[in-house]
Amino acid sequence: MRDSERAISIQNLTKYYGKLRALNDISFEVKRGDFFAFLGPNGAGKTTTINVVTGLSNFQHGQVRAFGYSTTTEYTRTRRLIGLCAQEFNFDPFLTIHQLLVYQAGYFGVLPQEAAHRADELLKRFQLIERRNVKHRALSSGMKKRLLLCRALIHDPEILILDEPTAGCDLELKFLIWDYLTQLNNEGKTIFLTTHYMEEAERLCKTIGIINHGRIVRIGNKQEILQDKSLEAVFLEVTGLE
Amino acid sequence: MITNPIGVLALSKREILRFLSVASQTIFPPLMASILFMYIFGVAIAGRIDMSATGLSYIKFLVPGLMTMHLIASAYENTTSSLFIGRWHNHIQEVLLSPLSYLEMVLGLLVGGVARAVIVCMGVYAVGLLFAPLTIQHPFILFYFILTISIIFSCAGMMGALWAEDFGMLSLWNIYIIMPLVLLGGVFHPLTMLPEAIQHWSHLNPMFYLVNGMRYSITGVSDANVLICAITSLILAVVLFLATVYLFGIGYKLRT
Repeated sequence: MRDSERAISIQNLTKYYGKLRALNDISFEVKRGDFFAFLGPNGAGKTTTINVVTGLSNFQHGQVRAFGYSTTTEYTRTRRLIGLCAQEFNFDPFLTIHQLLVYQAGYFGVLPQEAAHRADELLKRFQLIERRNVKHRALSSGMKKRLLLCRALIHDPEILILDEPTAGCDLELKFLIWDYLTQLNNEGKTIFLTTHYMEEAERLCKTIGIINHGRIVRIGNKQEILQDKSLEAVFLEVTGLE
Repeated sequence: MITNPIGVLALSKREILRFLSVASQTIFPPLMASILFMYIFGVAIAGRIDMSATGLSYIKFLVPGLMTMHLIASAYENTTSSLFIGRWHNHIQEVLLSPLSYLEMVLGLLVGGVARAVIVCMGVYAVGLLFAPLTIQHPFILFYFILTISIIFSCAGMMGALWAEDFGMLSLWNIYIIMPLVLLGGVFHPLTMLPEAIQHWSHLNPMFYLVNGMRYSITGVSDANVLICAITSLILAVVLFLATVYLFGIGYKLRT
């Protein structure tokens, strides 16, 4: 049954890679309309958590839900609700970037005419429209970043998951992405963001969760977490990296 | 059950576009090879082959065998390359993140394999018409065998693509298992040409029934009971299809 308040709900999630326990009994929730920063050092479990929520990874224990639907038994419902902007440039090499978006929308059940319209709108929004008939290999890495965002948004998901979306971007692109994400959040989209840039999380997010060695070590709204400190100071303190 | 027909259609279209966009590698080579086989075996050597037991000229015997061989190879190669390249570049995530059910994902990929196999198979038939008049005796039975055989090997291709860890492993099943069995299954020779002891072993080769099912559909002549051929191909198609959907369901080498 749909739970319209909790966009993501994770309960007692444990995930192993062989003998390595990547996620250790983690539980947390992301409310609908939230802008949630999920922070942690490299290898802490951020991308693993994202992969579990999106269905790219299996897990051994626990429950993961999106708007109340189980990501394992009701995956055809949850995947409609989620858009993932991954870290790597994993595009189909046979397609032009416009075709790529149209087919991606098609997998989500969007009719071709509507899909083509949405693809054009997104390509315009991210200043890629003039390159619509080239393949992704002809794009710069900044353009590929924007294309990842277009792909994540093509089916108009309720939850947008971003795995380090501005890593390697120049300032201009970073501001473009920040503005757009703020606008999307203001329009009601739930955003789940992982980043290594504390400034980005501090500037954009309402709620912050910090994971370290597969355990949630701090979670709460931004004011509670920060009090009078900077996010970087809190992060270093709770992860023991000081 | 299909709940996302637009999604299945989109994936099928992408699969078809993929092999059509490289037709010089996917469609024309088997046609070229068929012309050479038909010329060398069907024209140059055929006069020295005694085909009296079958009642067919050698070229008429050969064409259905070549159609089967390329049907199998095209179906297998299409899904193998598509799925493996998807895993290699990791753009398979585009499909895995979508709301397509695992059955729908397999169906979408399958359509590409079946479409390429059918195009190549009918192309080989058209090439055969250049060498001999060849009327299809049982078109509905031919349709049945083309469909079931292309499903069998499209699914086998997907399983091979999931199993393979690198490009070298990708063609191992085809080189060491499928093609030897297909060739020994009677593409180029009738059963009676083999020594009697080996004839018995041929009945254990599932490809023997597939090749002979196709040959019966086109010429009306077969070394095997056509009902056994039809049951064999149906069972293989259903089992391999369900096995492939199962592998997608558990995320075998697709999910970490």
